[in-house]
Amino acid sequence: MTLDTLRTHGIQAAAITYDARETLQAFGEAYHIRYPLLSDVGSRVIRAFGILNTNIPEDHPMMYGIPWPGNYLIAPDRSVQDKLFLRDYQLRPSAAVLLRTVAAAVGGTATQITTDVLQATITLSTDRCFPGQELAFGLNVRLTPGWHVYGPSVAGNYQALTVTFDSPLVAEYSLDLPPSTPVLLKALGETLPVYTEDIQAVGTLRIKWSPPAPMPFLEALGAPLEPGAYTITGTLRFQGCNDEICETPQAIPFTVPIRIEAGVPSAPKAQT
Amino acid sequence: MDSHTKTVVLHDIIRRFATGGKDITPAMWQDFVEAQNDGYRTGPAIGERVPDFTLSDQHGDSRSLAALMGPKGLLLVFTRSAAW
Repeated sequence: MTLDTLRTHGIQAAAITYDARETLQAFGEAYHIRYPLLSDVGSRVIRAFGILNTNIPEDHPMMYGIPWPGNYLIAPDRSVQDKLFLRDYQLRPSAAVLLRTVAAAVGGTATQITTDVLQATITLSTDRCFPGQELAFGLNVRLTPGWHVYGPSVAGNYQALTVTFDSPLVAEYSLDLPPSTPVLLKALGETLPVYTEDIQAVGTLRIKWSPPAPMPFLEALGAPLEPGAYTITGTLRFQGCNDEICETPQAIPFTVPIRIEAGVPSAPKAQT
Repeated sequence: MDSHTKTVVLHDIIRRFATGGKDITPAMWQDFVEAQNDGYRTGPAIGERVPDFTLSDQHGDSRSLAALMGPKGLLLVFTRSAAW
């Protein structure tokens, strides 16, 4: 998801730091920033939001005044629609995570799986990202009429509908599936939680964090992720049933392309 | 993590950074991250209104929250610094 995509959806973007205007100007020029970089010298607004990082000692010359970093999606009436703060500041969410429902609809790259039971589309919210970023993904399932698949609460040996990612690129992921409905299944003589209609679900996945280049002592935390073209691999699992038969559990691997961008070095120092 | 430990961890890493950082171990770095983010707060809850503000942008133009807002909203990102 890019700034232009946001703007197409009527949403503007801005960033706030405690830096002097000159620092922000140098940063903005170095990286061709096209949105406002707001200078909150003295951290007045950061304090007003209640997110001044109080772990930093007041006498710390460089770090005092920083916020706990996070993103807000603010509605025109100034109410918070969504927000995202991560425990580890090294993890940078992409805007797409905040805009999950929009992201699943607009999509960066997608893959489609078609069987006799269903047609599933798995969409990533972006086609490029940085190490450590969190992306949104969408799962849209169209069921063939007469078929159903099991919901997440199904017990026993039945295979619930699920998406898993096994790519070394993916650090963690989650998927929020809508509630399923208990239905008496004639073929089994049992009442089980199933989906009988089309399913739209959204989830998040986090790309492995990678130490930026000038921090060799961090390399022990994991091999740096080289920029370039990658594929994210995963598996769609489900078990389809209709009134007559139940299929065996299915596990269908899929791949989605993603481009990992190089991390950016610090901006040049402002001329003072 | 108590406040004394946080302070010790923060100053220790800064001191090691100043001398090249070669003796910083992954465990020290994780402590450093933990010390900075321990008990972090996330500001106004979903549904609450954020405080109004007006700040200068990188070009020196004064920007109010209302003026920054798009027709459907504003993605407002708080980050640590553009300088480091």
